[in-house]
Amino acid sequence: MKAAQASKVRAKSTARAFVWLQGLGGLVGFALLLEIVPRIGLISPNYLPPFSEIMAALFKEMTTAVFWSALSDTLEAWAIGLVISVVAGVVIGIAIGSSRIVRTLTHSTIEFLRPIPSVALIPLAVLLFGSQIQSTLVLVIYASFWQVLIQVLYGVQDVDPVARETARCYGLGTWAQIRYVTWPTALPYLMTGIRLAAAVALILAITSEVAIDTQGLGKQISDTESGGAVAIMYAYIIVAGIIGVIVNLGARALERRVLAWHPSIRLDAADAVA
Amino acid sequence: MLEVKGLRKVYEDTSRTVEAIRDVSFCVGEGELVCIVGPSGAGKTTLLKCIAGLLAPTAGGVIVEATPVVGPPPAMAVVFQEYGRSLFPWMSVHDNVMLPLKQKNMPAARREELVRDALAAVDLKGVESAYPWQLSGGMQQRVAIARAVAYEPHVLLMDEPFAAVDAQTRADLEDLIRVLWRRLRVTVLFVTHDIDESVYLGQRVMVMSQAPTVIMEDVAVDLPDERTQLETRSMARFGELRKHIYSQIQLAKQGWRPPAG
Repeated sequence: MKAAQASKVRAKSTARAFVWLQGLGGLVGFALLLEIVPRIGLISPNYLPPFSEIMAALFKEMTTAVFWSALSDTLEAWAIGLVISVVAGVVIGIAIGSSRIVRTLTHSTIEFLRPIPSVALIPLAVLLFGSQIQSTLVLVIYASFWQVLIQVLYGVQDVDPVARETARCYGLGTWAQIRYVTWPTALPYLMTGIRLAAAVALILAITSEVAIDTQGLGKQISDTESGGAVAIMYAYIIVAGIIGVIVNLGARALERRVLAWHPSIRLDAADAVA
Repeated sequence: MLEVKGLRKVYEDTSRTVEAIRDVSFCVGEGELVCIVGPSGAGKTTLLKCIAGLLAPTAGGVIVEATPVVGPPPAMAVVFQEYGRSLFPWMSVHDNVMLPLKQKNMPAARREELVRDALAAVDLKGVESAYPWQLSGGMQQRVAIARAVAYEPHVLLMDEPFAAVDAQTRADLEDLIRVLWRRLRVTVLFVTHDIDESVYLGQRVMVMSQAPTVIMEDVAVDLPDERTQLETRSMARFGELRKHIYSQIQLAKQGWRPPAG
């Protein structure tokens, strides 16, 4: 059983390495395309400089203080917004999800508010906070909060009736049931919610910086564009993309760690034998 | 010890009404091991949930140790058929057994001792840090039994606990229940659809009718207290009891009911 399990773990990690290699191959191909297209004049290098020039601009930009403060501003708004969304989504999700009456009462309101695009709130944010970080936070939180809330609502309702009855039979009170039964049941849903929210939060942080000139990578993108520094503009866009990839990888690693017991990740006794 | 009086349960929703239990009354004395057997759809699980305080009866009631049941009684433990769903997959074996004890006010050392003793009592050692889903079905149900044992209940309810394990494991677990029952002097109410199992385990077997449920017969099992799979099951008396209960169940399936009274 142990040996079978070990070989399964090995098979899994080999498969993962292969997927990684394929992904890397795709990236190299895309970089080559970006290099060739402007060089053969398919798109004017004035609008799309070759990839090598973008990278050179990026490395040069990375030596400036402007780059690092823009990066940290974006990450700060992203992180603060995400934490607030997750905490609010969890607390409100458990509160609403635990009561059927509250769930029914809030359902239509949530379904009305949720599809409102965050960017529609830009005028409101500007009115309230101008181009300070709070404006970015309004947009980030509004967009990512729903991702978390909806997942937690689903998760809370997914508690197995047998698990619930077991908890009641063995004298677990309301708090103990939330902590030991509801919370672990909702956790896989929450992890999905966090992963989605982390991506959305990044999109909205940069959108807000482009649109309302709050400090960060997005502002650098619009500033360099209007200043005609096209290669640097692309360099910032690439940085935004890289952050997105790192955020997603981080969220997945967290998921694997926290949910080691979950059927989607664990290796069952039955699996090991098979 | 445990008394069920005129219990009736009707499920109602907007579209229809289903009478699951019509009128069930019986007593279980302290330290008794009583089996409830009935055809499928006899409302066995409904009855057990009412006794466990998980479901409110429509009429009548349950009294455990002189206290009317309105919620899960503190001196009662339940072992469910679906061990895979009743054990928490996010907790180790040790933590699963420990969790109910955390709700009780006792020193940490005493809790650890109870967990250790309970796991030893069900012949599980060295799996404390494993997760339930890493164990076989039979071992998982042993963990669930250990959780019940560690809880130090006065009454143990078992809802078809061995319906989902293979025959060999089942025989072992039946013997385990007999051993634990005699050693711990706990009152056991064991629900099953398996006639052989009910005769092998019980001091009494209560035969239930089809829904709406009443009790068809309360059969005393006059087999010796020392029971072994091989000898007990080949006794002439075992065969007679088995045959008698089997014919009662057949009657129940045909819809026969004892005259009201």
